[in-house]
Amino acid sequence: MRVDLRRVVPFGYALAGVAVITALIGLVRSRYAVPDISMVYLLLVLWLGARYGILPAAVAGVAALLAYDFFYVPPAGTFAVRGPNELLGLVLLLAAALVTGHLAASLREASERSSATAAEATTLYELATGALRLPEVGAAIALLCQRARSLPAVSRFTLVAVEDGAARVAGGDELDAGVLRRCEWSFQRGTSVGGSIEPEGLGLVRVAGRAREPVILPLAGGVAVMTIAAAEADQPQRRLLAALLSLGSLLLDRRTAAFQAHRASTLEASDSLKTAVLSSLSHELKSPLAALRAGLTALAGPAAGLDVEHRELVVGLDREASRLDRLVGELLTMSRLESGQALELEPRSFPELAGAVLDRMAPQLADRRLLLRLPDDLPPVLMDELQVDRLLTNLLDNALEFTPAGGAIELGARVAGGHLVAWVENEGPMIPAAELRSIFDKFWTGRASGSGLGLAIARLIAERHGGTIEARNRRSGPRFEFTLPVAAVESRR
Amino acid sequence: MSGRVLVVDDEAEIRRALRTGLSGHGFEVEAVAGGEEALAAAAARTPDVVLLDLGLPDLDGFTVLTRLREKSRAAVIVLSVMADERDKVRALDLGADDYLVKPFGLDELLARIRAVIRRQAAVASGDAVVRVGDLAIDLGRRLVTVAGREVHLTPTEYELLRYLALHAGKLVTHTILLREVWGAYAVGEPQNTRYVVAQIRRKLGDDPARPRYIATEPGVGYRLRVEH
Repeated sequence: MRVDLRRVVPFGYALAGVAVITALIGLVRSRYAVPDISMVYLLLVLWLGARYGILPAAVAGVAALLAYDFFYVPPAGTFAVRGPNELLGLVLLLAAALVTGHLAASLREASERSSATAAEATTLYELATGALRLPEVGAAIALLCQRARSLPAVSRFTLVAVEDGAARVAGGDELDAGVLRRCEWSFQRGTSVGGSIEPEGLGLVRVAGRAREPVILPLAGGVAVMTIAAAEADQPQRRLLAALLSLGSLLLDRRTAAFQAHRASTLEASDSLKTAVLSSLSHELKSPLAALRAGLTALAGPAAGLDVEHRELVVGLDREASRLDRLVGELLTMSRLESGQALELEPRSFPELAGAVLDRMAPQLADRRLLLRLPDDLPPVLMDELQVDRLLTNLLDNALEFTPAGGAIELGARVAGGHLVAWVENEGPMIPAAELRSIFDKFWTGRASGSGLGLAIARLIAERHGGTIEARNRRSGPRFEFTLPVAAVESRR
Repeated sequence: MSGRVLVVDDEAEIRRALRTGLSGHGFEVEAVAGGEEALAAAAARTPDVVLLDLGLPDLDGFTVLTRLREKSRAAVIVLSVMADERDKVRALDLGADDYLVKPFGLDELLARIRAVIRRQAAVASGDAVVRVGDLAIDLGRRLVTVAGREVHLTPTEYELLRYLALHAGKLVTHTILLREVWGAYAVGEPQNTRYVVAQIRRKLGDDPARPRYIATEPGVGYRLRVEH
């Protein structure tokens, strides 16, 4: 068995001190008569108590009693005591020694405790301010791990961030894959391994035979992993560790937040990349079409001097170019909608928007009968007006295609259950029952012309507004009905 | 109708098609490919109308527009493949007279060119009374009548209608209305213009679903209709 020298030395001092003082007393007594010279022993007891605690002090007290009795209490050379006076003197000496030792030892403990608390507070203060001042959360985490590992009981200390279920070392000692997997498990379950954070400090569970197994503690954005000698982890160290772990929890949480913010901005960047690609594609596809249409329409004009037959040929070509333009436009619109471009929702008047769309389509609508069923008291609707403009335009385009000249097209709206229900109905052929749903599918090919995207776009817009769209057959023809949420009532001053 | 037209577009085929097409309708056409050339030509030739493509190789189209507005009185029609309303609003805010999305047919372009030339003539003649159907806006007497009956407008309503009447036929953005009606220090709240326009329409008896006087351009602004 190894003997810890540090633990034995104070007792050596006690015995040696008693021997020296006993010799000194002998010297003094040979020349002077000093009463109560045994009090000198108390100085030794006081020093030992203040320096090493109560046990060495008590040992010194007892040794002093025995030595004084043996050498100076008559009959000298024996431990025997002659009379009650001498006995009382010895008892008093022992009591004084013990009380002095105890007082000195308690003073020592109190001062040690308060200086430990002050050191702990200083450490935490420096670490917390340092960590919060550091702009880079990783550096703050590294600082914290370094401080934790400087504690005598701690041999390894690591903070592990768990992001998207995957554990990564955020700071401190490296870990092998097996430990990282256990970290993930511990984080997901919120289960501690080998210890726990208690209000009074870090609690450690001793597992027999597995003393060097790492302790894993789940925190806010990850876990802490440490190898700690439980026997050496005294109360101040445990308290300090618990405080460091709370700070580590905050830092890991900050790291997770930064990670998520970074990911959001990456997504945003990929969104704007998509928009840029679509813009550039739009430019590349539309520019040649613009040249074609400008050229063809110039050629079809009277100034070009074409005969009727050639002019009709050119007009037909321009019609095809327009069709291609519409198709390209719808494909680009569809891609934009599908890429999830954000809606700009504002409370808007549906009749005003309908008026704008009808105004723009007036030339095509001229030879159809238009019926408007828009009550005056419709509430504002929460919409992205440009998108709903497109929705309505597509439904009217569709109606125009199937309405014979002179036929009626009805546009109406009413309020039902917090929604505006709007419809476009036309006189024309019914939609086969089996196609009432598939008609909204992309590239639905139930008709000769058109891209097959107009109604798919209409559905996408209605759904992105939190509404619905459906087709059904009425007495004189099909009706397309969609809903939009009514805007919350906003009072004007 | 005739006039001088400056075409600014980096696509050679567009320049050729527009030069041929517009000359065939009696316009005197010059076509250039870049922004610097455009600014030089606008200064040298004083065109009546500039057709400005926004995607130019040397200068940003909006920059060319701004600099054109500083020194030329020509009407500017912006041509762009961008159907984005924000581009449209920005061009109009910077002083463009109209915005046409490419591709377009020559007939549509001719109609736009004629409209801006007519508007310039109307502004020059300074007609005191602007008429749209049975609506008459007497700018001299600050009097608004529908079918001869006087309509009482608040000062703000009148100022907004007056601004639209002074630019009859032109699409006026919310931003410009806010600046012109509420003053330079008005900060963007397009809801104000929407509210005032709704009030004017109500007083004029104009159904927003079948507007006879004031047309709405979603996401952009308003236009006082004119008959041709």
